[in-house]
Amino acid sequence: MASIARCLRIARPSVVSAFAQSSVRIARPFSVTANNELRKYTREHEWIELSDDKKTGYVGISSYAAKALGDVVFVELPEEGKEVHAGDALGAVESVKSAADINAPVSCKVIASNLTLEESPSTINKVPEDHSASGGWVAKVQVTDQGIADLEKLMDEEAYKEFTAAEDH
Amino acid sequence: MAAVLLRNTTGGIRCLTKGPAFISTTTTILSSHGFGLLTKPRRSYSTTISQDLLDKKVQVYQSTSKDPYLNLSIEHHLLQHSHPDSYVLFLYINDPCVVIGRNQNPWLEVNLPALQEAEDIKLVRRRSGGGTVFHDHGNVNWSVICPPAVFDRDRHAEMVVRALKDLGVTTAKVNERHDIVIAGDGRGNGQDIFKVSGSAYKLTRLRSLHHGTCLLNSPRLKNIGKFLRSPGEPYIKARGVESVRSPIRNVDVDTEDFTKGVVDEFLAMYEEQCGEDVIVKGIGEEDVKDMDNIRKGMDELTSIPWIYGQTPQFTFSSRPTEDDPRERPPLNFEVQSDFNIQFTLRHGEFQTANVSGLKYEGSAMDGDIYDGMISQTLAKGSEDGSAVKLYEIKDWATVLKSATAGQAFKVSDSSLNSISQWLNKVFPGNHFR
Repeated sequence: MASIARCLRIARPSVVSAFAQSSVRIARPFSVTANNELRKYTREHEWIELSDDKKTGYVGISSYAAKALGDVVFVELPEEGKEVHAGDALGAVESVKSAADINAPVSCKVIASNLTLEESPSTINKVPEDHSASGGWVAKVQVTDQGIADLEKLMDEEAYKEFTAAEDH
Repeated sequence: MAAVLLRNTTGGIRCLTKGPAFISTTTTILSSHGFGLLTKPRRSYSTTISQDLLDKKVQVYQSTSKDPYLNLSIEHHLLQHSHPDSYVLFLYINDPCVVIGRNQNPWLEVNLPALQEAEDIKLVRRRSGGGTVFHDHGNVNWSVICPPAVFDRDRHAEMVVRALKDLGVTTAKVNERHDIVIAGDGRGNGQDIFKVSGSAYKLTRLRSLHHGTCLLNSPRLKNIGKFLRSPGEPYIKARGVESVRSPIRNVDVDTEDFTKGVVDEFLAMYEEQCGEDVIVKGIGEEDVKDMDNIRKGMDELTSIPWIYGQTPQFTFSSRPTEDDPRERPPLNFEVQSDFNIQFTLRHGEFQTANVSGLKYEGSAMDGDIYDGMISQTLAKGSEDGSAVKLYEIKDWATVLKSATAGQAFKVSDSSLNSISQWLNKVFPGNHFR
């Protein structure tokens, strides 16, 4: 997802500022709660949310990324059992003729992929950060010990919002 | 024309901004640099596209190979291993081939029987997104790899437009689909818009790749449409990415002039940053034959599971369905009124199969039961329990016969022949690459 932010800014500046404003507006009433303490973001616009067991979690792309990508026409999902390090490709998203890698936020192993996205790729545009059964999450993963350490380096929700706001200017 | 000379001295590379881009051979001088590269991770140990080169600020490579699988593998290696801050241009010409996008369906996009008949046209699935295109010696492929920070879908298409304009193609421009189009003949005669170049992209964490075609003087222009119209299209509904059709024409420019023009424009864009840190070289089969990464890339791109099996789920149905209500063209053979063939395939493997209304001969049992047997053979799997792969079926007559082997009935010969012929046309196995 690294390329998308610049791409959006250069191509459609007016859309970006409108989005940046609206994203901040929507976010405030729902800011950090107990649930979201476990959600972290990468600089490349992926998110991971650990479940209560602190060993498994869900991974996906952020709303910011989903908006910037445009209409997603296909999602390449990772295979069950795939083991990756932080930053490795965990599948890809196709939009506007671009196959864009989705990168693993932390070292982990794929337990399941969200097959809804195979049938309906636009789900990732509609509810990219939703990890319920009908959400746009990409994969359910088991986090390794290294992965738990990797989490420390990621941004929490507030920090990510500041980060994306800065990217738009 | 002065030949371009490159020297990889310890002092650095001479920056080349003018002169022809064509390079002959430059291989052996680089082998001594191979072993300085063991310090950083993910480095190649090649003797030729050494990490030394891949770390240069500005790199221009031109392939002397016409093998599309090799060229895409070299391109992928450049994407994976060039320095994250570098700007890389790679130019290549391929032998005749049809190239589908990463997430496309060859049975839907390509006239596979026509390719089979032509014998010398390869089928390729690339790693970037987008639609299906045709390459031959009249088409030049250009590929730019740059940092994500400067990625823009039109930036390097505009670069190619500048090169075309310098060559007299005054009406060349980039359209809203990031394609390059010309009006009329490109020189001011005629208004109709023609596509002359298509683009596709591959975006990784560290790098952005934009590659495109350019139809300069293909002798096969009239046939390109034929290769890109599939006999299965009226019956197939697919997930994945569908191509968008455009009228095309040749730009009518010499491939060497175009190549030189693109290299010049690329260097002009990044000249300020290059200083001495530029490399321009040719790459051929000889240069990369010992490179493991490239060989692995080739193995993947030439494999049947990659070319055919990376296909998103699709359905084939001989008659309209709720999901695919389009009217079907009339079959050119006789069938019973309840004739219906429906398959669902995922990654090229049968998920569901329904066959009904075939004509049977033999003992007088219910045709429905026989239909069920054929359906089961396909959907349940082969004898070893693995799913039947569409791209391994060489002849549908064999499949239909084997489903009823040992039974007191069989599909009538006339039915068998006509149905097999039809299915063999839509799904002609993988006799070729």
